[in-house]
Formats: sequence, C-alpha cells, structure tokens
Amino acid sequence: MHIPDGYLSPSTCAVMYTGAGVGWYASLRRVRRTLNARLIPLISVFAAFCFIVMMFNLPLPGGTTSHAIGVSIAAIVLGPAGAILATSIALAIQALFFGDGGITTLGANCFNIAVVASLVSYACYRLIASNAPLISRRRVFASAVAGYLAINMAALFTAVEFGLQPIFFHDPQGVPLYAPYSLRVAVPAMMLGHLAVAGLAEAAITAGMVAFLQHADPALLSAASGGAAATLAAEPIRPNSLRRLWITVALLMFLAPLGILAAGTAWGEWSLSGETHYTSSSPSSALHRLATIWTAPMPAYAPPFVKSASFGYLLSAMFGVGLMLAGSLLVQKLWKRRSTAGSTP
Amino acid sequence: MSRRGAIASTLVGLSTALGNALVSETIARKPGWLQSLDPRVKLTGLLALVLAAALSHRIGVILALWLGATLLGLLSRVSLPTLATRVWLAVLLFTGVIALPALFLTPGTPVLSSPDGKLHITEQGIVAATLLITRVETAATLTTLLALTTPWMQILKSLRSFGVPQEFVMMLNMTHRYIFVLAESASQMLESRNSRTVGILSSAAQRAIVARTAGVLMGKSIELGNDVYLAMQSRAFRGDTKLLTGFRMTSRDFLALSGFLLIAMIAIWLGRA
Amino acid sequence: MSYTAVFAAHNVDFHYDQVPALRQLSLTVQTGQCVALVGANGSGKSTLLRLLDGLCFPAAGSISFHGEPLTAANLADNKFFLSFRRRVALVFQNPDVQLFNPTVFDEVAFGPLQMGWNSAEVISRVDATLEMMGIANLRDRPPYRLSGGEKKRVALASVIVLDPEVLLLDEPTALLDPRSQSQLIDLIQNWRGTSKTVITATHHLEILEDIADRVAVLEQGSVTAVASPQQILSDSELLLRANLVHAHRHRHGDLIHSHPHLHSHSKHEHEH
Repeated sequence: MHIPDGYLSPSTCAVMYTGAGVGWYASLRRVRRTLNARLIPLISVFAAFCFIVMMFNLPLPGGTTSHAIGVSIAAIVLGPAGAILATSIALAIQALFFGDGGITTLGANCFNIAVVASLVSYACYRLIASNAPLISRRRVFASAVAGYLAINMAALFTAVEFGLQPIFFHDPQGVPLYAPYSLRVAVPAMMLGHLAVAGLAEAAITAGMVAFLQHADPALLSAASGGAAATLAAEPIRPNSLRRLWITVALLMFLAPLGILAAGTAWGEWSLSGETHYTSSSPSSALHRLATIWTAPMPAYAPPFVKSASFGYLLSAMFGVGLMLAGSLLVQKLWKRRSTAGSTP
Repeated sequence: MSRRGAIASTLVGLSTALGNALVSETIARKPGWLQSLDPRVKLTGLLALVLAAALSHRIGVILALWLGATLLGLLSRVSLPTLATRVWLAVLLFTGVIALPALFLTPGTPVLSSPDGKLHITEQGIVAATLLITRVETAATLTTLLALTTPWMQILKSLRSFGVPQEFVMMLNMTHRYIFVLAESASQMLESRNSRTVGILSSAAQRAIVARTAGVLMGKSIELGNDVYLAMQSRAFRGDTKLLTGFRMTSRDFLALSGFLLIAMIAIWLGRA
Repeated sequence: MSYTAVFAAHNVDFHYDQVPALRQLSLTVQTGQCVALVGANGSGKSTLLRLLDGLCFPAAGSISFHGEPLTAANLADNKFFLSFRRRVALVFQNPDVQLFNPTVFDEVAFGPLQMGWNSAEVISRVDATLEMMGIANLRDRPPYRLSGGEKKRVALASVIVLDPEVLLLDEPTALLDPRSQSQLIDLIQNWRGTSKTVITATHHLEILEDIADRVAVLEQGSVTAVASPQQILSDSELLLRANLVHAHRHRHGDLIHSHPHLHSHSKHEHEH
C-alpha cells in the first residue's frame, strides 16, 4: 500500500501533502496543548515499534503471509493524534533513511496510512467496544474489526488516488502519464488483496496485541490510566461554536465532487475494447475531456468558468481535504458523545 | 510460504534492513562528490530532479535524468552493483509486475493482437508502462542516493533549518535511534522462540507467537519511552531543544545548487506536454 | 538535620500504580560522602535515586537538597531547576535510555545546550570531557554502533560534562566486562575525598569497600541499616535477610553445611 515515487502526478502529490499536513498540524497542536512533553519520547518509541512491526511476517489462514502496519493498535493505545504522528514518523524514516518508499508520495502515504487508518481504527474501536469492560472479548473483537476496516479504508483511498491518475493525467494520445489503471481496474485490484489478505493481517496483529495487553498491562488500553498516552486519547474536545459551520463546509467539499463524479461519466471511462482511440491530438481536446468529467452534468446555462479544467482540479482538491475534515469531525463527535455520556472509553 | 516459517523470515528481514542501514552509514562517510555537499543543497537539488522526472511527459528526458543520477552515484563512490541490487532490481520486479497489465488494459491503437482478436497490446499501453517504470526507477535512484550519501544527523538538521517543527525533528531522531534498540529486542525474542521450537509450527501458532512478540515489544517500547523522558528531564529538558547549528554554504555548494536547479528546469521544459 | 547534608529524606512513601516501592524511608547523606545503596532487586534502590534526582515526587514524606525541598512546585522555578539539574546528575542503569541523540558528540552536548551555554563553550567543554573519558575517538559515532562499555562511558560523559556536585549511579557495573568495571571503579575512587557526593546503587557487594564510605541497606522499600562497608559485609545475618547473598548448602560426608555465599568470591574457605 506504500506508494512509490512516480505513481502519482506532482499535483496529486501536492494535494495529498496538504491533506496530510492538515492531519499533522492538528495532531501536533493536540500534543502541544496537552503540555505533555513526555509524549515526545513516547510517540517516538511507538513509531519505532510500528516500523519494526511492519517488518513482521504474519502467516495467514490459507498459506499466505502478509505484513501488518500497527497503526490500528497505535490508535487504540495512543489515540488518533499520537497514532497519526507515530505512523507518519515511521513512514518518513522508511523513506528518508532506509530509502524505502517515495518522498514526493510521502504526503499521500501518510494521509492514507497514518491519517485515514488511525481515524477509522479509533472510531471503530470506540464505537464497537463502547462501555465494555477492559478485559472482555468485545474489546478484542472491536480491535479486530477496527484493524480490518482501517487498512481497507486506507487501501480504498490509495486505490482512488491511483484510479484518478489516468483520468486526469494523460497526454493527448491517451497515454496515462502516471499510474495507468482507471478506477474500474484499480479499485477492485487493490481492494481484493486487502480485503482478503492484508486486512486480516492487521486485524490479527491488532486483536492479538489487545488480547495480550488485557493480561499483561490493561492500563495501556484504558484511557482512564494515568499514563501520558491515555491523556492524549481521553482529552475531551472543547465545544466549538464554529463547529457546525465546519461540518457543513466539510460535507459540501466532500459530497459535491463526489456527487458530480457519481453522475457516471468517470466510471465508464475506459473500455476494454481496443477499438477506441482518440481522434484528436490537440491539447485543447484533452483539457476538454478533463473538464467534462467533473462538469458534464452541469446544465447548458451554467457559466463558462464552471466547465474549465481548473475548476475540475479544484474539485478534486476539495474532495480530498473535505474527506479528511469530515472524517476527523466525525471522530471528534464520537469522542464528545463518549465523554459527555460519562462512559468509560 | 517458505519452510523456514514466518519467524525465521522475519528475523532475516530485520537483519537485512539493519545491515543495509549500516552500509549506508559507511557510504555516507566516503569522500565522494555528493558527500561533500551541504546537505541542504543535496536535499533541495535531488528533490528538484525527482520533481523534474515526475513532471516530464517524455521518456527520453526521464532516461537522461536516470543516467545523470547514476553518474552522480558513481562520482560519490556508489557502485553500479550497489545501485542495481538496492534499487533497480527491486523496482523492476515490483513496478514491472504492476505495469504489465497496462500493456493490455490501456485503450488506444493496437500494436499487437492475439489470434482471436480479444487481447490487444496498445501503443499507449507500451508507452504508459515504460513511462511508469522509468519514472519510478529514476526517482528511486535519486532518493536512494540522498539517503546513502547523507548521514542521518545531517538530514535532520537540514529539515530543521527548513522550518520543520522541532518536535518533529526530535521525534524523527529518537525513532531512528530506537528502531535499532527495538530491532535487537525483537530479534532476540524471536530467535529464542525459534530455537526452542521443534518441528514446524502451524500457521495459527506462528501468528500467536508474532502477536505475542509484538505485544511484549510494545510494552518495552512504552517503558523505554517513559524512561527516556526521565533521562531527558534529568539533563534539563523541558520540551524545547536547542541545537548546535553548523551549516555553512561554500561557493561550491551554491554552484552545485544552481547546477541542480538549472538541470531540473531544463528537464521540465524539455519534458513538457 | 545538619547544614552539610546534601540530601535529607524523611519518611518517604512512594508507589507505582498502587504497588508500594518505598515505605517510610529515611536517609541523610552528607556533602562529600560516598554512599552505597545495597538491596535486592525490587528493594527500591532505583526508585530512591530517581526521587533524589527530582524526577518523581514522594506520595508522603519529604526530600530536600541542601535544605531546599524537592517538590514539583520548586522545580517549576526556572532558576532552581537549572541550578539543580546542573548540580545533580543521574546515570541510569540502562545506557540506551540515556543515549537519544544522533552522535556521541551530540549526546554529551545535550546537557550544556539545555543549560543555555554558548556554542563555543559547549564545543570546548564537550571535547575536553570526551578526552578525559578516553572516548574522543567515538565523537561522531551513532549510539547503535557502540559496545556496552562504550555506551556506559558516553552516558557518564554526558552527565560529567556539567561538572555536577552530586553523582547518582544506578548499577554502574551491570553488564560491564571486568576491565570496564575496574575502570569505572577507578573513576569513582577519584571522586572520593573530593567535595563530590557519590551515591551508588548496586548489588555488587565486593566493590563496596572500593566505592563507599557508608553503606545503606534497603529492604522492601526502607533503609534498615547504615554502617561502614566492613560492618555490613561481616553481618551475614543481615545480608541473608536482605537477600543480598544466598545460603549455599553442600555436603561433607555426612555433614550438611550451610553458609552465606557470594558466588563472586573466588576464595572460598570455611572451617569445620
């Protein structure tokens, strides 16, 4: 699921860096706000732990082996902010020191694997485990589901990023410039591997570790313990009057491009028939194609700027950022519900 | 799944990765061209070249950048076999496999068709696959050169001077440091498990061992993290670190930087749509 | 409480997550003394050292440093904090915990930089310390390429560079080969007789006479005896009770003979 350099266009990389940057900024602010400098070595060592876990070979039922990432257990123990930072740091070191994984695509990798997976894992775990006692089967089950879903969500985002490449970035002859597979191919191809194999690996590690910790050190699983990790996970969100506005914005940013996309123009884009080819080789027709993907459903009386390619680019940027915002807001809402209900997380 | 089992192959993986890391430290200390540059110049310059390769629409330009990168490597005492084994082969295998279906799946003008007319290899498919592979190879070569010729500490200090928040830099450093500590712990645990096992374990049993090891490792990690914090406090740390700055750009560095940027811009211009 | 007391601990209680580590512990250490804390694992030696270094605070009782109470509130004061951190140094049992900087040089420079010294001063002091500890050749080494003995020396260097008045050493000879051990003991002996106070936690009994004027025995979180090394070492009942030695039994013909035994003693004589 780690995307190497060259698979994503520079503009996609820039958008993804922005998305990841938002995640980093929010997480760092959280760490600073807890005024707990103790978290710095804690997150660091956890990042090292993630790095090592990524190298463990996990045998799965059916004879295959796979690798887990450890982001899901990080989210359960450290909370999403800590997990975002820890996993991002592990990914950065993989790229910068071990030369493993792209640097231009570091933003995308961090967004998919650190941000999305952490948020999904934490949200799932809290939702399913809710009030269950620390040492209960339910928690183990919750963590398995959390791990499974988190990895698959990350894979889905990766697949979408891949799948959008040929649609947006091809030359006038129709040659895809980066990742060459459309959504129709990329999504099933990536998801199959993760739904069947990698998701299970993450679920296995996450559940295995929760079960282990339940006996070895349950305090680590509890946000009520005095540890620094718990402080990070359990801090209640201060209610924000601007929150509603943010939610609306996020939903808009997320749904609008998605809605347009769902109009069907993108999905049937590529056919397997070798007969289709592009009749025109001029740049303007390529741009026109780009614009129509997002804007085709627009009625004839819409102003011309709406149909331009730049607007299409803008929409894809909104899509990414909106998704992330919506995700984090959703999680915050869950937190709030947990803490105001007075339940044990 | 190899007969060695998951545990044994994990051990091999760990020691290979660490072995590679030690090799890079050796290369980083050799008297080569890239090693002699200010790390900020290297970071900026090499990333500019990666960007140029990423932006180019022409295979020729990308190949030229690849050649240039290889030359830089040779000038910096990074041998061809090193590059081949560490970068080129791995990329070819991985990306090659991924790019293969693109030959058939990319719509366009057919170049080769199967007898029954169902499968076609298109011209666009060939170009797309080649573009992808060359791009990935070039970018990987450049980033590996960066990693091989720059000591970790210098990478961190350059990041700091580029404005990356000090908490990040500190965490990057400590993580890097403790990867080695934890890797050793993990290896020892897995080795002792391995030696105490007779016969071949079922996959479920192996899974249990790996999860267990991960669990113990995590406990150790947290304990280590807490103890490190105490040690830092004991030396007057309260959340903000002060670093010794030591970078000074020489005229040679400026020349190199201009060279990098010029080449990148030419490549971008030549490779434009 | 004498005005020359460096540390005065009165009835200190401390626990980790409900598990008691120190119970009603009282101890006074005079300036310039070399004290050894002996006790079995779990007796509270490391905990006490951390409390003396102001890294954790007692649940009950008090600890003071030259008459100043060591509390979180006091250490929040910038001046006291910097002064205390410079004057008191702790060397942890596990050197990896103390080596968190990219190179040996950076590690030794960490403390001085935190103190706010200027760059030139930091560089010269660090180089001098590296020379003194005989590790100048390790200057640019990353910590994962150091042997156990080298790590310990770097850890020591990183605290000595500040020229502290008090040295707290937690099991300094653990994991060291015999030569490194004797080098370390030489170092501690150099400090004896100077105004430096050295408190060493150890269960390595045969070095006691070399490194300490006074020995405090810890059992289950309290100090049960304070005496000279000779007195402590000859009190076999105490040593057994404190789990510092084990009873060794062997047969001589029909006689079963039992006596306290330290494995590290090479000479082994007893009469019967």
